[in-house]
Amino acid sequence: MKKTIVFRAAALLAASLMFIPLFSLSSPFLNQSDEDCMVCHEDQELKTDDGKSLYVDSEKFATSIHGAAGFSCVDCHSDLREVEEFPHPTKLKAVSCGECHDDAVKEYQTSIHIQANPEEDCCAVTCADCHGKHDINSTTDISSRVYPLNLPQTCESCHLERVKTKRGGEFIKQYEISVHFKALEKAGLTVSANCSHCHGAHDIKSVNDASSRVSKKNIIRTCGQCHVGIERDYLEGVHGKDYVKGIKDIPVCTDCHREHDIISPQDLSSPVYATKVGDVCSRCHDDETLARQYGFLTERLKTYSGSFHGTASKFGETRVANCASCHGIHDIRPSVDPKSSINPKNLPQTCGKCHPGAGENFARGKIHVVSEKTSNKWAYFVKMFYIIMIAAIITVFLVFIAADLFHRLRHNRAKS
Amino acid sequence: MSTKGKKISGPKTIMENPSLMLTGLPLIFYELKFLKPIFSLEKSFYVRGILHRIAAVGLILNVIWHAYYTIFTKRGRNNFKELLPKLKDFKDAFKLFWHNLGLMRFLNRKGFLKKFFIAHPYWLFERAPEFGRYNFIEKFEYWAVVWGSVVMIISGFFMWNVELSLSLFPLWVHNIFVIVHGYEALLAFLAVIIWHMYNVHLNPEVFPMSKVWLNGKITGKELRTLHPLEYQKILEERKERAK
Repeated sequence: MKKTIVFRAAALLAASLMFIPLFSLSSPFLNQSDEDCMVCHEDQELKTDDGKSLYVDSEKFATSIHGAAGFSCVDCHSDLREVEEFPHPTKLKAVSCGECHDDAVKEYQTSIHIQANPEEDCCAVTCADCHGKHDINSTTDISSRVYPLNLPQTCESCHLERVKTKRGGEFIKQYEISVHFKALEKAGLTVSANCSHCHGAHDIKSVNDASSRVSKKNIIRTCGQCHVGIERDYLEGVHGKDYVKGIKDIPVCTDCHREHDIISPQDLSSPVYATKVGDVCSRCHDDETLARQYGFLTERLKTYSGSFHGTASKFGETRVANCASCHGIHDIRPSVDPKSSINPKNLPQTCGKCHPGAGENFARGKIHVVSEKTSNKWAYFVKMFYIIMIAAIITVFLVFIAADLFHRLRHNRAKS
Repeated sequence: MSTKGKKISGPKTIMENPSLMLTGLPLIFYELKFLKPIFSLEKSFYVRGILHRIAAVGLILNVIWHAYYTIFTKRGRNNFKELLPKLKDFKDAFKLFWHNLGLMRFLNRKGFLKKFFIAHPYWLFERAPEFGRYNFIEKFEYWAVVWGSVVMIISGFFMWNVELSLSLFPLWVHNIFVIVHGYEALLAFLAVIIWHMYNVHLNPEVFPMSKVWLNGKITGKELRTLHPLEYQKILEERKERAK
């Protein structure tokens, strides 16, 4: 009977020991306990030969996600498991997070961060650079370095100064004027786009890498994560249809809205502000080469500027029609499309947004045409009539005045 | 009353035309960068539109007043008759030009076409033409302003009321209104700057300006030298009255 109790107790102990490795990978009987480590490492003055602090804040570790889950030092610092002589003399191996976080590390291994920085000859960005070391918190914890509210600061701690990306720190810092950052910082909206929403977290790649989330190939999908309706509209429009075909010159979100410094279209300095959007569209639509290549009309801004809408807009009037007022925003369609806002059938409705009671007459005639010669003969005739008349009248004026001055000059000379 | 009418119509016009031009012409020359600062304030383009319309209303009232004056007053009707273009005006223009140029007299002095000039001394243009109450320059300006005002008011009215315009006309007709309004403005601007400025201001005879437009009065000397036929007419009328 006694034997059975001892046996059962032993069995229970054995069973419980089997579960321990789930939480602590090594047996506490063989190695140092956390307390043993802290004997040295709680000393704030403890440093390596080259002055690197070896201090570990045990309280922070205790409240960190790993500490709270009962991890001990040697669970991560696995090369200390077998060491019995302390203080351990050698530099430790880097902690391998991948033992547990293998998915994240796999992603990380495809990223630009794992590549060595040729200038510094080392220092691929490690897990700890973003997540911290002993004080790692859950990403859902508001104090985590990678929590949405804190992430921009974490990335900027390298990207503003220390790490030179091609477009420089200024480009990175532009994020701080964006509507995304304002929503994050001022409104405290964690759903607002931060670095990782667009660039990814572990698998950050260069924008030139086709598999990057911010590459031309993927940017629509990336912005569409949040801007679902806009992605749908864009893909239905003429730009989206050609985008899907892989045409390289097609504008994507960032071509019109800019990149880090995306601001509200109501903001005066937005590239798609009412009076400025024409400049954005005209980058392609006044381009002779693109027009010839893809068979669309050119001089769109030039001819618009000559109209009252365009002229007023140039002088800062926001209430007049700009490109988007008539052509739509993300789902711009060609006029032959029956759903197009500039399809002749829909023009009364489109013009009617500003001109109440607009009827079919709005569609009887063309606007911003390159040449009136072919589109409106009468207008062309009137224009030519005026040009010839003005030239003729002014010439007669000048000839008359010249003759008069000539006469006076002679007359005066004769007098004197 | 009639002089009073003339008295105010001059100053009124000089208020309206420059203000219409100042608030309108930038729209033709929208590409000029220096115009941008003028419209730098948020509401400035809107205010420009309001000012342009106020000046336009002024012009319309001026035209109505002038029409009333022309139709319903004796002096107005008389002026209008005097302003009607006559064959003499075309001849005067032709004569004055050749007189000023003096080419024929030069040829004559050099001995060319002697016989022709003896037979037809008219072609020597020895004397400048003499003008009546209105010379051809003034008549031309008057009719240019009449034509310009009518064209600008009609086209401008439909641009102001674009919804009305497009309920009556197709878009291509409305586009012509816009074209006409712009080019007519350009013509008027150039006519004022070149023709009017020279004849009424810069011309050494009247410099710095003829003051007729202010008080409706002309000096005796100006009348005798610039409008001798009108001077004679007035003299004859006085003689007749004296009888």
